[in-house]
Amino acid sequence: MKIAVLVSTGRHPVSGATVLSRLEAQAIRLAAGLGEPLGLHAGPEQAVLREALGQGLVRGEHIVVPDGVDPVPALAARLAATKPDLILAGRRGQGGDETGLVPYALAETLDLPLIPDVVAMASDDEAGTLRLDQSLGRGALRRVLVRGPLVVTIHPDAPAPFAYAYGQARRGTIVPLDAAPGTVEGTGPTVEERPYRRRPKLVKGAPTGGSAAERLKAATGEAGTAASGRLLVDPDPDEAAREILAHLRQIGVLAPPTRPSIP
Amino acid sequence: MTGPVLLTTLFPGLVWAMAALALVQVWRRAALWRAGAAAPVAWLDGLAKLPRRYLVDVHHVVARDAYASRMHAVVAGGLLAASVLTALAILPPLAGSRIYWVLVALAFAVTAVGSFLVGARRYPEKQKRLSAGRFQILPFLLVAYAAGGTLTALLLALGGGGGVLAPLALLLAAAGGLGLAFEVRHGPMRHAAAGALHLVAHPRPGRFEGRPDTALQPLDLDAPRLGSEMPADFTWNRLLSYDACVSCGRCEIACPAFAAGQPLNPKRLIQDLVAGLSPAEPAYAGNPYPGGREAEGERGPLARLIGPDARIHPDTLWSCTTCRACVEECPMMIEHVDAVVSLRRHQTLERGALPEKAVGPVTDLRQAGEPGGRSLAARTDFAAGLDLPVLDGRDGVDVLLWLGEGAYDLRYGRTLRALVRLLRQANVDFAVLGAEERDTGDLARRLGDEATFQSLARANIATLARHRFGRIVTADPHALHALRNEYPAFGGHYTVMHHTAFLLELIRAGKLVPNRLEDVSVTYHDPCYLARYNGETEAPRAVLDAIGVSRREMGRSGRRAMCCGGGGGAPVSDVPGERRIPDLRMAQAAETGAGIVAVACPSCTAMLEGVPDRKAEIRDIAELLLQSVEAGR
Ligand code: SF4
Ligand code: SF4
Repeated sequence: MKIAVLVSTGRHPVSGATVLSRLEAQAIRLAAGLGEPLGLHAGPEQAVLREALGQGLVRGEHIVVPDGVDPVPALAARLAATKPDLILAGRRGQGGDETGLVPYALAETLDLPLIPDVVAMASDDEAGTLRLDQSLGRGALRRVLVRGPLVVTIHPDAPAPFAYAYGQARRGTIVPLDAAPGTVEGTGPTVEERPYRRRPKLVKGAPTGGSAAERLKAATGEAGTAASGRLLVDPDPDEAAREILAHLRQIGVLAPPTRPSIP
Repeated sequence: MTGPVLLTTLFPGLVWAMAALALVQVWRRAALWRAGAAAPVAWLDGLAKLPRRYLVDVHHVVARDAYASRMHAVVAGGLLAASVLTALAILPPLAGSRIYWVLVALAFAVTAVGSFLVGARRYPEKQKRLSAGRFQILPFLLVAYAAGGTLTALLLALGGGGGVLAPLALLLAAAGGLGLAFEVRHGPMRHAAAGALHLVAHPRPGRFEGRPDTALQPLDLDAPRLGSEMPADFTWNRLLSYDACVSCGRCEIACPAFAAGQPLNPKRLIQDLVAGLSPAEPAYAGNPYPGGREAEGERGPLARLIGPDARIHPDTLWSCTTCRACVEECPMMIEHVDAVVSLRRHQTLERGALPEKAVGPVTDLRQAGEPGGRSLAARTDFAAGLDLPVLDGRDGVDVLLWLGEGAYDLRYGRTLRALVRLLRQANVDFAVLGAEERDTGDLARRLGDEATFQSLARANIATLARHRFGRIVTADPHALHALRNEYPAFGGHYTVMHHTAFLLELIRAGKLVPNRLEDVSVTYHDPCYLARYNGETEAPRAVLDAIGVSRREMGRSGRRAMCCGGGGGAPVSDVPGERRIPDLRMAQAAETGAGIVAVACPSCTAMLEGVPDRKAEIRDIAELLLQSVEAGR
């Protein structure tokens, strides 16, 4: 299976240093479980690709694209030429010039499906198909069976990245490539940049007014949606199991019973 | 007279034969050392200094065990004297002198006494820290050689030697003597040959010059292979040094990880390096790694040493706190920590095989210059409300205060606040680097990530080059060691003082006037990186004495103190054991009955304060001094 991992120039969230984004490092680890991934980076510098080589990549391709130029056309041209079965990317940008839109733009350009927020990947028994576990948030997972080629973005709950190994970074190869003709132009979508502002968290079903105590109750689940739960004190195990199953069905984790349960 | 004449030839001949056999055995062994990498060795210098290194430095360590010291002096001195004297008897004038043979007999008799001393450590019951195996035969070989030699020499002194007794005595001496010489390859006697050569070709000759030669040697990051994967990756004189191990087990009883039941035993580790090199090595016969894992995997100069399926389990490697207690206790001057770090370097740099829990801190060190991934500007947050001058933009200061990792820790922040207030009171012209201070890289280096360490070292050296300051003072012995001893290899030369030494200076200069805290009993816990790595044990005690507290010493203190478990990345590697190292150390502190354990290191503070059911308080020397200075007001 041919796998490409898109490597971007991330920023460390605290120090601001140019680093491999953690999500992409996680992508490399997931990809390494399936085969030998190829790193792909479009940008002026190859330093971040070198770092990716230290965290599990063996080979990387660096498409030289000047600063400020939209990397999508160059990446799309290269991917269209190499036709990987699987293209992995982080699910969002990590500072710098990153928009987090590249995987979407690529999927659109290449006309490929995109599966977001994947935490685990495995080859299925049937050749060419993949079993992906997609995070739905709050620990809920959805398993999808897909057949490539496709674009997949990685969720932070995926396994932690490999440790950086200086020797491997040194050994790995980076192939510098010229961008395909006609792809080095345009600055991509114009985005407006605003400083980060903490926004109040909206709690579904919480009373908009109300006292602090009421809002706390709503947030901690004693009112609002979560209040539909029931408190059972010292229940009989069978009854407890039934309640748990009913709850799981209600929130959609388990499928509804296929046949009427025996009372 | 044919009998004695024959005997006066045969007897010296036996010693010459022994020497020849020993030489052959050493030669066979040397073929293995040659598998190692090249190393620069000052041969002539080393040879000239051999007697001094042996008589002063080795003896200094050996003498800590009075019995072993006497035993070794008698048996080794006797053996050497008797053998040399006998060998010289090849000269006819000596062979003909009865007085000479009396002398020889005396020397052999001394050896015999020593041999019984050797035997008494092993029979009827072997001391626990010693190894069995071939070592158990040693007393018999010694006794045979010594008794046979004494008898033969006596017969010659008496002019006898024609009867049946002489051949029997000679035969006994030959059995023992040739046995001893044979043991030079695989047995206990190897320590004598390899040990002497090791003293000549020691990889850290600075050790013998009276200064602590403890800085890790820089790794050439362009080398074809980084760190040690297999025995052949060690330099040849390191392989030689491991052969010098006499399996005395002194390192084992000093090792905190071993005491805590973590899967590390420094003696076994060194023996595994020996056995890893040579498939013919007899089986190990000492205490195992706690947990009892048996050695697995291939052996030979090119066999992989570390791995769940290899000779040494990775957990063994990551259990080491790099406390150097083993190095301090080793009579053969073996450098265990260098071996551990060299093996770690390969794991980390080539295989990315850091322990799972250590990956986060090391990644943050590399990417943010700080193992917690916190903002460098937040390092001075501990000083909120204190006036803490930052060096940037100022025209030079006397003292640059290096804050270190501890500054981020709430508990240790109290110590630093006390130190800052003391410096203020003493009117010291000082400042900190503020957001420009990066971590020294100590953690990365001990965990084998030399690349990250070197890049941090270079960044810090570049920062320091931009500022003017007289000297650096730090309360963190790990930072002190890196700045003082390890940065010079990268071009950073500074005068670095530990805060205890600096505070003592201020007291002696009359700038700080402590009041006596009479009713406080204190025991001081020496940080490894201050006491063993830098030989500083007196200043903290002198400060405590100036405060006037009643000071008690733990059984293990000074250069022989036990580690708190906080060094070498051990807390982040977190290899499980049966006990915790800091708990053991606090139990030792409790034995003194002191109400306060004085510390002088952020790691020790954190480790010892984390001990549950602690009876004693943990206070840094700076905190105690501040308390005493302020007591008068
Ligand atoms: S340095 Fe300390 S922890 Fe490591 S082996 Fe030696 S005694 Fe044990
Ligand atoms: S390494 Fe040193 S202290 Fe340890 S057993 Fe060998 S000789 Fe003794």
